[in-house]
Amino acid sequence: MERITVKIDGRDIVTSPGRTILEVARENGIRIPTLCHLDGLSDVGACRLCIVDVRGQLVTACTTRVADKMEVLTATETVQAYRRTILELLFAEGNHICAFCVSNGGCELQDLACELGMHSVRVPYAFPRHRIDASHPRFLIDRDRCVLCGRCVRVCAEVEGARTWDFAERGSHARVITDLDVDWGDAASCTSCGKCVEVCPTGAIVRKGASNGEMRKRPEVVAGLKERRKHG
Amino acid sequence: MERQIHIEPVTRIEGHAKITVFLDASGDVRDAQFHVTELRGFEQFCVGRTLWEMPGLTARICGICPISHILASAKTCDAILAVQIPETAVLLRRLMNLGQIVQSHALSFFYLSAPDFLLGWDSDPATRNVIGLVAADPGLARKGIRLRAYGQEILARLGGKRIHPGWAVPGGVNQALSAPDRTWMVESLPEAISTTQEALALFKAKFGSKDDRTVLTEFPSMYMGLVRPDGAWEHYAGVLRLVDAKGKVVVAAHDPSRYFEILHEASEPWTYLKFPYYVPKGYPDGMYRVGPLGRVNACDRFATPLAQAELEEFRDRSGGRSGRVFDYHYARLIEILGSLEEIGELLADERITSPEIRAEAGVNAREGVGVHEAPRGTLIHHYWVDRNGIIEKANLIVSTGHNNLAMNRAVREIAKAYIKKGKVTEGMLNRIEGGIRAYDPCLSCSVHAVGHMPLVVDVVNAEGAVETTLARE
Amino acid sequence: MAKVRVATMWFSGCAGCHMSFLDIDETLIDLAGMIELYNSPLTDLKTFPEAGADVTLIEGAVANEEHLHLARVAREKSKIIVALGDCAVTGNVPSLRNGMDPDQMIEGIYGKPATSNGELPYEVVPHLLGRVRPLSEVIPVDYFLHGCPPPASLIAKAVLALVQGKTPELAGADLKFG
Repeated sequence: MERITVKIDGRDIVTSPGRTILEVARENGIRIPTLCHLDGLSDVGACRLCIVDVRGQLVTACTTRVADKMEVLTATETVQAYRRTILELLFAEGNHICAFCVSNGGCELQDLACELGMHSVRVPYAFPRHRIDASHPRFLIDRDRCVLCGRCVRVCAEVEGARTWDFAERGSHARVITDLDVDWGDAASCTSCGKCVEVCPTGAIVRKGASNGEMRKRPEVVAGLKERRKHG
Repeated sequence: MERQIHIEPVTRIEGHAKITVFLDASGDVRDAQFHVTELRGFEQFCVGRTLWEMPGLTARICGICPISHILASAKTCDAILAVQIPETAVLLRRLMNLGQIVQSHALSFFYLSAPDFLLGWDSDPATRNVIGLVAADPGLARKGIRLRAYGQEILARLGGKRIHPGWAVPGGVNQALSAPDRTWMVESLPEAISTTQEALALFKAKFGSKDDRTVLTEFPSMYMGLVRPDGAWEHYAGVLRLVDAKGKVVVAAHDPSRYFEILHEASEPWTYLKFPYYVPKGYPDGMYRVGPLGRVNACDRFATPLAQAELEEFRDRSGGRSGRVFDYHYARLIEILGSLEEIGELLADERITSPEIRAEAGVNAREGVGVHEAPRGTLIHHYWVDRNGIIEKANLIVSTGHNNLAMNRAVREIAKAYIKKGKVTEGMLNRIEGGIRAYDPCLSCSVHAVGHMPLVVDVVNAEGAVETTLARE
Repeated sequence: MAKVRVATMWFSGCAGCHMSFLDIDETLIDLAGMIELYNSPLTDLKTFPEAGADVTLIEGAVANEEHLHLARVAREKSKIIVALGDCAVTGNVPSLRNGMDPDQMIEGIYGKPATSNGELPYEVVPHLLGRVRPLSEVIPVDYFLHGCPPPASLIAKAVLALVQGKTPELAGADLKFG
């Protein structure tokens, strides 16, 4: 098996080619923040939070494969500043009021503010007002809390196979939809498996009946499923 | 020449308000208005949110009494789920409500109002506040702080945090009472009771006579509160009762969920706070008072012995039902005592630590009403939902709002009693504010909004030119 | 040591952050010896002292004309401004009205059939801004305390540091909203 050497934050690491910077970093105890990445799903580099510096270029660690003699810096001042700005833009774009959210205390976006040292949002808030879709008997989606990570789209396509969720429109109008943009309760392809609920990092897709701060997700079930399916 | 006196803002209350006093040509008071100056719009922006968010969302109406809203909201959601919640959940919610009453009443008495009657109505404004009280009587201040802390700790130990705990949910509550927490509450109770009795003794020593307690005017009104079916003081369940100024029953036992049959609201162009009134008497004659004085006058008795003894003494000292605004403070202390006694009873109930605390259900009714007694008065939440659990409409009548007509009356009467021939002192203005403080208004709640402005008094003439300025620095 | 001049204000919020401040319980007695509390909803002083405030804590979002005016006065008269709580930092719950037309909102709340007489409040009371705004959108803010409300321990940590002339260390879990 071919072995290559990658330098991450000044440390020489021996690994095999074809793996992502994110995988190699994690294996070696190096923390890179992520949001749209989820073990068990394909990587798409959507959120840009995992950007790292490769010889002065900023690339997403989740989609960039290591190469021999690659030099990666995961936490330069520039990288940290950009990550904070990306996070501020995510907060400003939605209606991320944690106070009464059912995912308060169990939200990856909320945790990122703590990890990245986001004291305030320095860009104007958009204050969007999407209609909450609670038409499904067991679940609902509050699009104001969606960060467009696409985990729901990927888990529904790659793991459940129903392909109920997808993206629609572009730019600031981009949103996730069910089937051909019908209410979730009318989306015939949905199997009600609930995987999208488990993988959604915020309080956007949640279970009905969960009240203030009660919604707790289990995104790790996806990696577990993938592992068990490998063995037939 | 017509003049106006502006008191802006009213301080040592919750929320934002100002007062205008209108003088006639000879400098005597013609009228006064109590303006609540901010609006957030909860009834409007709740529309489109989900049922399950409502307890946490409406909690943010108020940071002093979030529990009140959380419980009223949870009761409303129970009705929409069409469930009967487990009996331990009822006991726990009652315990939570009593902890709330204790801390909120202690805040009002020690932190907000006591500076006036313990340091003096005319004392230096720079020190007439809780910090000044700490300096003047650190022993009493410490006791007051610890009494409030006792109530707050009940909330934190039951709900996870003191302010805006996400604990009461549609169908019950989501966390049981642990044995260690129960023990703490039991062991800390005697100190709380002792502090309250000390405060009552101090109060009665200073203000035992009726005349002492008329400092902030008196006037007759109806009184409203929930009572138990047997007429005893109640805070969580029960029936709605209205009595007249002498305590004679006007409405014996109205179903709280049908509050709209006897209560409507009016509005005025000069305040963001609406005016609930008793429908058969119309607006504005249908004035009534809620909160400590309202409940204490509306009920027959307390079901607990210490509070009942104090109630009897209060009625004795007052010659029957009191209409004195200052007696809100007296009633408030009696309610702390009654609440602490019931806390003791609940903690002794074996069912209080049971893990059976939640009923599960979906949306089974399209409308629900939840009513109980917040520290400041009867609190009503009323939601309409679609079949998916999305709020279509919300109506909230919040405690202090019921007192709006009475607060305006108090301000007018106190101003009339003190301001003559255009002569105004800072102490008089403080007494006018004191009339509001006695009601312990929660204006954020009442308007579902909050506003704030500083206090400067401009005495302006009819042309609008400022003749004198009294600024409180 | 000279006592530090502290002021507090509340705009569009619920008073919960001020209550959380009071939740420092008996530490208030220690703090009382270190500060002069000037204009605050908890005192009878309504304007800033001549010399201004050393530290001003502001709770609540900016939602009406009066808040906007007071925020600017506060910035002018204070060495340090602390945005106290999520409403001041992000807009939080009061900002849920953004997107609604304030006049329509007022009509819905005060007009008929919500009330029996339909009088709309436009006199004397301050007009609503078109948009509820976080504090830092209208004035520069020095420190941000997150939380709804910020825990008493966080407020104590920050205030005690500031009254001793130090920089409050705010990191990690201190920055949790909600």
